[in-house]
Formats: sequence, structure tokens, C-alpha cells
Amino acid sequence: MSDILRQHAEQLFAQELEELKQQDSGHRPQNWVLAPQSVVTYLMGGTLPNGFEVSPKYIGNKRLMEIAVATLTTDRALLLYGLPGTAKSWVSEHLAAAISGDSTLIVQGTAGTSEEAVRYGWNYARLLAEGPTRQALVETPVMRAMQLGKIARIEELTRIGADVQDSLITILSEKSLPVPELNTAIQAVRGFNIIATANNRDKGVNELSSALKRRFNTVVLPVPDNTEEEIDIVRRRVESFEKVMQLPAEPPAAQEIRRIVTIFRELRNGVTADGKTKIKIPSGTLSTAEAISVVNNGLSMAAYFGDGRITASDLAAGIIGAVIKDPVQDKLVWQEYVETVIKTREDWKDIYRACRELE
Amino acid sequence: MAVHVLGIRHHGPGSARNVRQYLEALQPDMVLVEGPPDADALLQWVGHKELQPPVAILCYQPDRLQQGVFYPFAAFSPEWQAIQYARERNIPVRFMDLPVAHVFALQNERAQRAALHAGNPDDAPPPLHMNNSAVAEETDDTGAMPVFAHDPISHLAAAAGFSDGEKWWEHMFEYRQDTGGIFDAVAEAMSALRDELPKMSRMEKLREAWMRKTIRQAEKELYTTLAVVCGAWHAPALQHMPKQKDDNELLKGLPKVKVECTWIPWTYNRLSFTSGYGAGIFSPGWYAHTWQYPHDDGTRWMARVAGLLRTKQMDTSVAHVIDAVRMAGSLAALRGYSKAGLEELNEATLSVLCNGEDVLLQLIHDALIVSDTIGDVPGEVPKPPLQHDIEKTQKSLRLPATAEMKEYTLDLRKENDLERSVFLHRLQLLDINWGQNHATGGKGTFKELWRLQWEPEYSITIIEKGSWGNTVAEAATKYVNSEAEKAQHLAIVCQLLAKALPAELPVAVEKLVQCIQNLAASNGDVVQLMEAVPGLVSVIRYGNVRNTDAAMVTGITESMITRICVGLPVACTAIDDAAAQKILELLYQTDDAVRLLQHADISVQWQQSLQVIAHHTGAAPVLKGYATRLLADAQVLQGRQLVQLFYYGMSRSNPPSMSAAWLEGFLKGNGAFLLLDPQLWQVVTTWVSELEEGPFEEVLPLLRRTFARFTPPERRKLGEKVKHSSTGAPLPAVADAAIDMERAQCAIPVVLQLLGIQQTSHE
Repeated sequence: MSDILRQHAEQLFAQELEELKQQDSGHRPQNWVLAPQSVVTYLMGGTLPNGFEVSPKYIGNKRLMEIAVATLTTDRALLLYGLPGTAKSWVSEHLAAAISGDSTLIVQGTAGTSEEAVRYGWNYARLLAEGPTRQALVETPVMRAMQLGKIARIEELTRIGADVQDSLITILSEKSLPVPELNTAIQAVRGFNIIATANNRDKGVNELSSALKRRFNTVVLPVPDNTEEEIDIVRRRVESFEKVMQLPAEPPAAQEIRRIVTIFRELRNGVTADGKTKIKIPSGTLSTAEAISVVNNGLSMAAYFGDGRITASDLAAGIIGAVIKDPVQDKLVWQEYVETVIKTREDWKDIYRACRELE
Repeated sequence: MAVHVLGIRHHGPGSARNVRQYLEALQPDMVLVEGPPDADALLQWVGHKELQPPVAILCYQPDRLQQGVFYPFAAFSPEWQAIQYARERNIPVRFMDLPVAHVFALQNERAQRAALHAGNPDDAPPPLHMNNSAVAEETDDTGAMPVFAHDPISHLAAAAGFSDGEKWWEHMFEYRQDTGGIFDAVAEAMSALRDELPKMSRMEKLREAWMRKTIRQAEKELYTTLAVVCGAWHAPALQHMPKQKDDNELLKGLPKVKVECTWIPWTYNRLSFTSGYGAGIFSPGWYAHTWQYPHDDGTRWMARVAGLLRTKQMDTSVAHVIDAVRMAGSLAALRGYSKAGLEELNEATLSVLCNGEDVLLQLIHDALIVSDTIGDVPGEVPKPPLQHDIEKTQKSLRLPATAEMKEYTLDLRKENDLERSVFLHRLQLLDINWGQNHATGGKGTFKELWRLQWEPEYSITIIEKGSWGNTVAEAATKYVNSEAEKAQHLAIVCQLLAKALPAELPVAVEKLVQCIQNLAASNGDVVQLMEAVPGLVSVIRYGNVRNTDAAMVTGITESMITRICVGLPVACTAIDDAAAQKILELLYQTDDAVRLLQHADISVQWQQSLQVIAHHTGAAPVLKGYATRLLADAQVLQGRQLVQLFYYGMSRSNPPSMSAAWLEGFLKGNGAFLLLDPQLWQVVTTWVSELEEGPFEEVLPLLRRTFARFTPPERRKLGEKVKHSSTGAPLPAVADAAIDMERAQCAIPVVLQLLGIQQTSHE
């Protein structure tokens, strides 16, 4: 096993991608590694004609993935939209890996992302020495994707300032990136497109201008429909984490995962699973991704500080950390939940004690 | 002779197109269609320019109206197309399903058997009720289209890798452009299914036997080329005829009832699944679109969607439409379909036009995918006289029946609007709730807001109520009269009266007034009288706008209040808490009514009656408290008298529960009364401040109980007021002498202006 902490999707699932490519029969858009149908299969999982099992990457509605893939075959870009932790970046990474075989052309959007990070920058030493030349130009991931006909990814598009966002308009509508200093333009090769992600909670921070919005098709990724689906997601992700981290701990029992997912769902929805009791909703999003990290956290605790078996006390700290984001309000919400819901459940005594101990 | 069986899906635009093309190529000399032969005579109307689908054939049993069945047709129904073809070519067309006359009779028999089985044939509920679910049941049972309701097609769909039968059928047959040999393929698929799923109900066997019988009959009449249009499921049964003898055996001695049929307008909304119609379709609006524009690749649809969004102030450019159409195309390609279906178009709309927000999609669903189209039936079609009268009135008052909800604000001072209002009120009396009366904002009692939405079911109610008379006025009058005679309870008659007055039915009103008088005289129950009075008073007070003669109501109302005043004190004694609470509410309403009436004699009587209650030792304490309060409000009880009653009510010799109830009655309503009425305030605060510590602790829970009913802001204000005046100083009394007349004069114009009173008239 390599000592890379986290491998790119195309490395981790190289075999699956290879098999899909071999079995691919559909029409392949230019510069795509796989046919659109195979991309959907790669994301949703399935069995290939030769019996090879493709693991599911996205658990949820297949139609959403079909819309996402179909969007990328048109000349519109894709905007994945949803609450934090609803697998937007995950889907975007795997889409790029399956379509271009490369998920690394990525721009992380922040409030400080400048135009140089989106379009191109200059190597000032060379610029001073040689004047504006092609060699002095510093390419960005977007520019490289245009030249290679690949997918560029922009994370957290709505965090980027509006003026910088709008520099994408020409790239998306004319598929070209003018470089006035060199009196030239980079023209995108077929296969180029952009996948951007943005989250609901940031709505209105830097709302996309309507000109830019028009260049994107929006796909809203929802929180999982039901408990079983969410448990499935958490279990799969935790298993892959174990493999990567080489943890000696036993895999967590399904019921532990179920309890965490239940707690998260109840707090997220503001009502208990049986629909009988209303509860307050904490300020955090409590996404599936956070449930995954709580379990992973518990696993590490059990492996390094416990007897290798995951227990309630290993999880409690993680749960509390995830729920209490605002030290005053969320604490009240959590205490109320512990006392009114957790305490009353007969087989949740251990978790109740563990939570009380930490307070 | 050649029999061509065309297996179709009911309401499938693709099937409709195929049927049309097939018939045009075949040139048959007779067409048979799945439908009720009872309605054969109605087929001559197809082709009439005013008979516009969606329409339905309504078959009902005149002596048993809860039995009714609808056979809806849209322009894209294959049956409709077949009938239309036949009418255009002037060749005979007939229905061939099992006659409804037999179906009803069989159902009645079954219901009777079930009732007998249950042991009490009289109390057995009628087998079907006239509501949506019953319509669905009906159609299931009598089989306009049982095939798709139970969906054996889903087996084929599953075999082809589709998630549901509808979708499979749509992609296999409805969206198909190349239609060669399609009916053979359908028949083959269905016969494979029928082999696998051999279970058939008796009703279904009977139906198919009747269809074969009709085909044989046509053969006997020497027609040479016969086209038979039926649900796909039945196609194999009609292609392979069993022996004639077996069918005749099966159909021998079927029971029969009398059945009548008529055309009624239908709506797309009613065709859709959402309204509970079991054999409907999801998207009639979309089907109508594909029927009208079979070669549309989504462009035209998207343009309509964009147009709709623009009317809702959503910026939608042509570029949006282009991208959405492309998106739908590539989704279809991804899924391996030759053409984008509604699902692909919806998904493209969602992600391209709506930015992922599905609220807008709901709008598109209601306005375009289902759409609120309503059909039209020509006036000459024989129909019940009441229906005829309603349609005539609708036309003359310019109140068209529409499937979408329309709002009308009627100004009763205008003649046409007044007539409209009268008409709608009459329909309401007949339980035809086409219009809903809503409260209007704004001043004046001459305005009415109506929301109108026509439902096809009203046709049934109209037929049912047709037995009362041939015009709306006549039917409403007779219906109200009979209801009034049946009514035992005063409140019911009064409600009827309140409804009958705006409906301008003088004969009925007279009858109702008479009924009320009789009931009131023979009725010793004060509670019933009190329930009736507020409604009558509002009739007197507000009825005048409509030129109705409310005078006759005034007389009986006054006599009723007198009766109440006599009986009330007794009614308030020796009753339990629940009864006291009920009377408390009625006291409030009646007092309101008396004040509204503004009749001096009545008011005096009423106050005397209240006095008796307030002083009565045996009356329920909560009522005593409230009576005291009402008298205080009316300024009848003041000063020492009031204080005395208060102290009596709250005296320590009473059990605490009695004091609590008294106080609850006294402070009924919200805390604002206490805040704004200085007299009340003074009585309560003085009493509290004079209490010694021991007794104070005793009554504290009672006070808390009463005050807990006030809202938090009110309680806070009360607290502030107490704090403010707790310095011990007596409340500033309003002394007449302290008013500076000159300065007061200066304030009057401002007050007048605030009240909106024109000052110029004084000058």
C-alpha cells in the first residue's frame, strides 16, 4: 500500500475504471474516457456483463446522476447544490475521474480567490525578464482543463467574490479564454466542462449573477431520504476509511451506526424517528458526512485508546462535538435531547451515561 | 367477413393516432368501441361542433341515483377517435361492453346478498356513494379500464427492465413513430400475459362474452369489414372466439334495471390520478400536447413552459429554452430512448429553468401537465331540465363553468351581480357547492367574494335534485320546504333561513318563519332559542342590502328574545360545569345580538334578566360573574352596587372553586378589558389590596388561574399598571368638573378627523 494519505478517485478506483472502459459499448463523446452510461454505472454501481462488480459511489436517486452526466454532455456546466455534507465534492470528484480520468484540476473557492486563480497568472520574474510571453504565463487548472479537454472543478463557487465569478462567463459561453497581453486566446478542446459546487447555507453570500447562472444547470443533492439509505452510506464510507487508515479496530456494529444516524436524523428533522416528539434543531447541518466522521473518530479512539471494540463512550465525544456548534444555544438543545429522548430509550442507557459523563 | 381487433390503452395519444391511421387505411364499414351500449343513442352527438372533449358519458339509475358511472373521453382517447372517424364517414358505430343496465343490476344483487349476509338488510349502507373514490371503484368494477388499474402490464415492463408499466407502455407504444404491425404486437403481448395470469372475475368474463356477442350480431347484419377498438387486455379474447353457445349460456338471464345516459362536461383534472379516479392518467395536459403536436421534440413544450414561467415573473430567455431542449435530448439519449418523454423534459426544466427549485415545477404540473381544461356539451343534448335551467342561467348571467378556480367580487347594488349572488346562493341550498362564499375585506355589506370552480360531479347532484323541480328557484324552494318540515331542531331551521334569505325564495322564507315560530313556541329549551337568535339578528341587521323583507324575521326574533329573557334565569341554575360553559358562550353571543339589535325594550328586558342571574344564589357562579360583568359594561351596575356584588362573589365563605368560577366569568375575554376599563380595574385592585395576608394566600391560586388565560404581553402590562399605581394614590377619577371646556373643544376636530367623520357638514 502506498503511503499517500488519501488517493485520488481515479487511483483508488483505477481497476473499476479500466473494466468499465473495456466493457464500454455506448457512444463516447470526444475526449471522454467512458461513455455517459458507463459514467452513471461507475457512480451508482452495478454488475458489468463480464460479472465485474462496480461499487456504488453515490447512494441515492439515480436520476440525479443521469441529469448530472447528461448536463456535461451539453455545453452547459454543472452546478451541484445542497447542504454541507451531501456529497457534492465527492460526486464532483468521481464525475471528473470517470469522464476525464483526472479529478485533480481543481480550484478551491474562497473569499480570497482571485482572478489569477481562475484564469491565468504571471511568473513575474520571467515577465520582467522576457516581457509577456507564453512561458511567463502561469496556467490555472481551468486553463489546463480547456487545453486538455478535461473537466475542471470549482469548489464552493458561491464563496468566490462576484467579480471573480463572472470571469467564468466567457469561458463557459464562448469556450475560450482570451489573453489580451499576448493578443491570443486559449480555445477549449472538446470534452472541457466545469463542475462547480455550492452550498445552501451560503445562499446569498455571493449569489451567482443571472448571466452566470444561465451557464449552469443546477442539480440539488438532497439529504438521504430514509434511515436505511443513510446507514448504508455511513457504513460504506467507514469501511473504506478503515482500509485506508489500516485501523486495527473491529468494524463497528450496524447498531452503533444506526444509533448515530438516528440521532443525527432526529436532530436534523426536529422530530423523533417515531414522529411523536418534537425536538429543537441545533444550528449545525448534521449531514451524513458528519455522521461518517463521528464513526471514524470513534473507530480511531477504540483502536488507539480502547480495546479495539467501538463503544458508546468512543462515540459520545464525537457526537457532542458535531452537534454543539454554538456553545450556548446548541448546548441547551443537546441537553434537552439527551434528557428527553436518549434517556427514555431502554437500550440507549450506555450512550446516555457516556454523554452525561462528558458534560 | 374480417374482424380487426385494435388493442389500445384508454387515453393514450399514441394509441389514438395508431387507431386513426389504421382505420383510415382499413376503411371498415362498421366500428365497435368498448363502452356502454346503453349510450348508443348518444353517439350521434359526436361530431357536433359544440361537443368538445373532455366530456364523459354519465350512466345512472334514475330511481337510485347513488348508482352512477362515468365514461370519460378526451380528444386523445382512441375510443373518441374511432367514434369520430365513424361519424365523419357516416358508418355505423356501436358500443359493445356489457350494458350498464346489467352491471347495476348485478351490483344491486350483490349488495343485497351482502346485506342479507350481514343480517340487517335495512340498515345496510348503499353499495356506492357519490364521491371520488366511489367513482374510481365503479370504473374498476364495471370495467371502463380495469387492466391498467391492476396493471398486469407491469410484468412485461419488469421483463423489459422498466420500473413501472405506464412508462414501459409509453415508450413502447405511445411515443413510437413507426406504427407498422403495432396492434398485432399488442395482441401477442397480451395473449402471453393472459396465459400467465389466467385469473378472471365473473364480471370480466361477462363483459368479454357481451363484446363477442356484439361482434357476432354485426356479422349477422352482413357488415364485411369490422374494426373493434377495445382495451389491450381484451384483444386476445375477441380474436379467438369460443363457441357461440358458451357465451349465450353465460349471458342468459342477466338481471336488468332502467338506466339513463347523458353527455356531461369533464375536466382534465378529473382525468388525472391525483383526483382519485382509479383508471386515470398522470398527465392529461401533456397527452393533449403530444396528441396535438406528435412530432414535437420538446421545443414547443419548453416554449410553453417558458411562457408560463414568464407570466410568473421568472426571467426565462430563449437561450434557456434552447439549453433545456438540448438537456432533455441528451438525457433521453443517455437513457437509451429515441425521444425525450415528460420525465426528461421535467428534469431538464428543473435543472435548467428552475435552478433546481421544485416549487416552480409544481406550478408547471398544475397549469400544463394536468391543465385545467373543461369540455363542452351542446345545449340540445337531452338532459335533465334542471341542468338545462342551470346552463341557461349561467349563460345569461355570464358565469361560465370553468375547471380552474375563478374569483368574482359581486357588488350587490348592481342588478346583474345581485342576480348572480342569488343564483349562487340557490345552488348552495341545493348542495351544489360550485361557488364558495368568502369574507370580503373593505367596508360595506354590499360586497360578496365568490370563488367558483366546476366539478363534473355536480352533474350527479343536479340530476338528484332535479326531482324537486325543473328550475333552480322551484327546486330550491321545494327542497328547503321539505328540509324545514323534517327539521326538529331550531338551529337547523334558522341556518336554513339564513341561507334562504339571500337566495330570495319568498315562499320558502315564509315557510321557514312559520316553522321557527312553531318550534320556538313549543320549545322549552332556552339553549336552542339562544343558539338561533344571533343568526336571525344578523339577518335583520344586514339583510336589507338585498331588498329582502326582513320585517317578518324581526317579529319572531323579538318574541324569541322575550322567551329567552323569561327562561334564562332558571336555565342558569343547578347545572354542571360543562353546561355552564356552553351557556356562557351563548350569553356572550346573545348579548352581542341584543346590542346589535339596538331595540330599547328588548335591551331593558335582557338587562333585567341578567340582573336576576347576577343576584340569584343558585345560578352557576361563572354565569353570575359574567352577568355582573355584562351589566357593568352596560353601565347598569355601577359604584357601590358593583363593588358589593364583586365582594359577594369573591367572599371567603364561598368554596374556593365557586369564587374562582365567578372571577373567571367576571374577567371573561382578554386582559385588555381590565386595562382599559377604569371601573373594573378599580374594583379588582381595591379588592386585592384590601385582602389580608391569610386570605390572600388562599385566593392566590384562583387569581392565578384566571390571569393565566391572558396573553403574556397583557399580563406584563397589567403588572406595569399595578406597579405604576402602587404608590397608594387612588386612581385619578374622571371628574366632570376637571374638564376645561375650551381646551376640550380644540380637540374635537382632531377626533372627528380620526373617526373619519366629515366636519364640513357642521359648518
